[in-house]
Amino acid sequence: METVITGESYSLDWNPETRTAALKGILRLNGLEEYAPIARFLLDAVPHGSMTLDLRGLEFLNSSGIATLSKFVIEIRNRKTVDLTVLGSKAVAWQGKSLVNLGKLMPALRMEFV
Amino acid sequence: MAKARTPLGITAKQGLVTMVVVLVLGLAGSMMELYYDWHATRTQLATQVSQTLDTISGSAVEAAYQLSPDLSVRVVDGLLGHDIVAAVRLYDNFGDLLAEGRRPGDGAGSRLAQMLFGDMAEFKRTLVRDRGGANDGATVGELKVSLSVGAMTRGFYDRALVNAALGLLRSLAISALVVAVFYVMITRPLVRLAQLVGRIDPTRPGALLLPPLPGHETDELGQLAGSLNAMLVAAQQGMDQRDRAQAENVRLGTELEVSRRIQQMVLPTLGELAEIKGLDLAAYMEAATEVGGDYYDILKGENGRVRIGIGDVTGHGLESGVVMLMTQSAVRTLVTCDERDAVRLLDVLNRTIYHNTQRMGCDKNLTLALLDYRPEDSDAAAGHLRISGQHESVIVVRVGGDVELVDTIDLGLPLGLVDDIGSFVAETSIPLHAGDTVVLYTDGITEAADRDHNLYGLERLCETVRRHADQPATAIKDAVIADVKRHAGDQPLYDDLTLIVMKQN
Repeated sequence: METVITGESYSLDWNPETRTAALKGILRLNGLEEYAPIARFLLDAVPHGSMTLDLRGLEFLNSSGIATLSKFVIEIRNRKTVDLTVLGSKAVAWQGKSLVNLGKLMPALRMEFV
Repeated sequence: MAKARTPLGITAKQGLVTMVVVLVLGLAGSMMELYYDWHATRTQLATQVSQTLDTISGSAVEAAYQLSPDLSVRVVDGLLGHDIVAAVRLYDNFGDLLAEGRRPGDGAGSRLAQMLFGDMAEFKRTLVRDRGGANDGATVGELKVSLSVGAMTRGFYDRALVNAALGLLRSLAISALVVAVFYVMITRPLVRLAQLVGRIDPTRPGALLLPPLPGHETDELGQLAGSLNAMLVAAQQGMDQRDRAQAENVRLGTELEVSRRIQQMVLPTLGELAEIKGLDLAAYMEAATEVGGDYYDILKGENGRVRIGIGDVTGHGLESGVVMLMTQSAVRTLVTCDERDAVRLLDVLNRTIYHNTQRMGCDKNLTLALLDYRPEDSDAAAGHLRISGQHESVIVVRVGGDVELVDTIDLGLPLGLVDDIGSFVAETSIPLHAGDTVVLYTDGITEAADRDHNLYGLERLCETVRRHADQPATAIKDAVIADVKRHAGDQPLYDDLTLIVMKQN
């Protein structure tokens, strides 16, 4: 497990063995531009095969962040080479609603709420 | 206005100071020389007189012993033959004058001469006759010699004059030499440096750097020029940076102001809201410090119909404001065309926004809910609210305090994300009865954070609305906004706040 990107109140960890990217903390970046480094890493992390996006530790994500995740899921859907699983937490308010959209955008997406 | 006095140049100052110092030192040196010369002159004079008296004393003793007037006169004349002797008196051992002589016209000399040599003007020699070589003979008389102070000082004065003249010349020469050497070695390059520095434009210090000073590339002057250049370059960089930051700040400030105005200028007016009879309406919007892209609109239709839109464009600033403006126009256009099919309406809106944001290359998208209110045909105090599009949950507080949440997650997708959302759009309908309250909001309200990042939250919003549900729409709106502000405390407004309260009359 290595920390790839870290900010004032958030971090993005990557575990190459399990191919799991974990976003943690509070993400309140301004606009898609500020989310670009995170988006780029997620898109480049796995060219094909399985990948897990672990959001259980992400307490808050603003609308630009949700848009970033949506775009990431659309891109993965269009590539058709990555088998994506998203881990969410029922305890975190924003996820219940917003993660549903990811499923809508990519019907093949596996969603696991813990 | 009096002309300003030209300030003294560094060379003139240095010349003056050098001259004064060298003159003072030269004067002191000359005084010392004069003193030693004076001393030497006195010793020499004393020796000279003593020797003269020695040579003549034999004859004088003889003259006094023999009381010979002839010899006495010869002795006196012999002594007067010396320049410095002014007067001679020869006495016998009884004190009687044997002979006397005086050089004519030889005065006592000036006061200065008296001071310098006056004390040694008189010489006295007791005349003693030798007997068989032993010096124990009897006194035979006395010789008194007055020296000419004028003659004594003449040579001294001449030498002093030459000394002073030479000293002055030496001082001038040394001064000139020192000034010349200084001028060539230091003053001239320094003056040149000063001229070059004087040419620097303080508003653009880095535009003209100092050229290397010939012959001083590596010494302290060269280093001074080098350091000055480094400072100039640093100052210019600092100014450039400041200018750029200022320009960027002005640009951002202007952009935010434009965004704020775009957002505010298309909002429905209080007058429009007051015209709507079947519903009691109140709305609030406050832009965040960095203006977000909140959107809401309330449009009065035919036969008591009211169309309401509320949405939130991602991000902040001008682009979000423009997308908000586009959304407002597109919604209004479609409503004016009386498009009633929610699926079609949202699909067309989405395509419009999607293709426009693609064209703008700005990646913006927005949540948008559209609400269509129509009063009951049979009962004006009741109505139906159709809701479509994905946005925050709609809060309904029934008369009596029951709170219902209408989840909109399955009623659509964010607009502008994908080019076709038709298959995700749905519509739901809720009946409204007199006194029922409906609250619409953006996430700026529910996600308003306090110092410890505790969000205001949907639950607290519902509770605040429920507590004030029996009051008019405006009072409910005010209560919610006050409570949100209380929660956020001194924290900045991260996102726009938008709130719409409607009550079935």
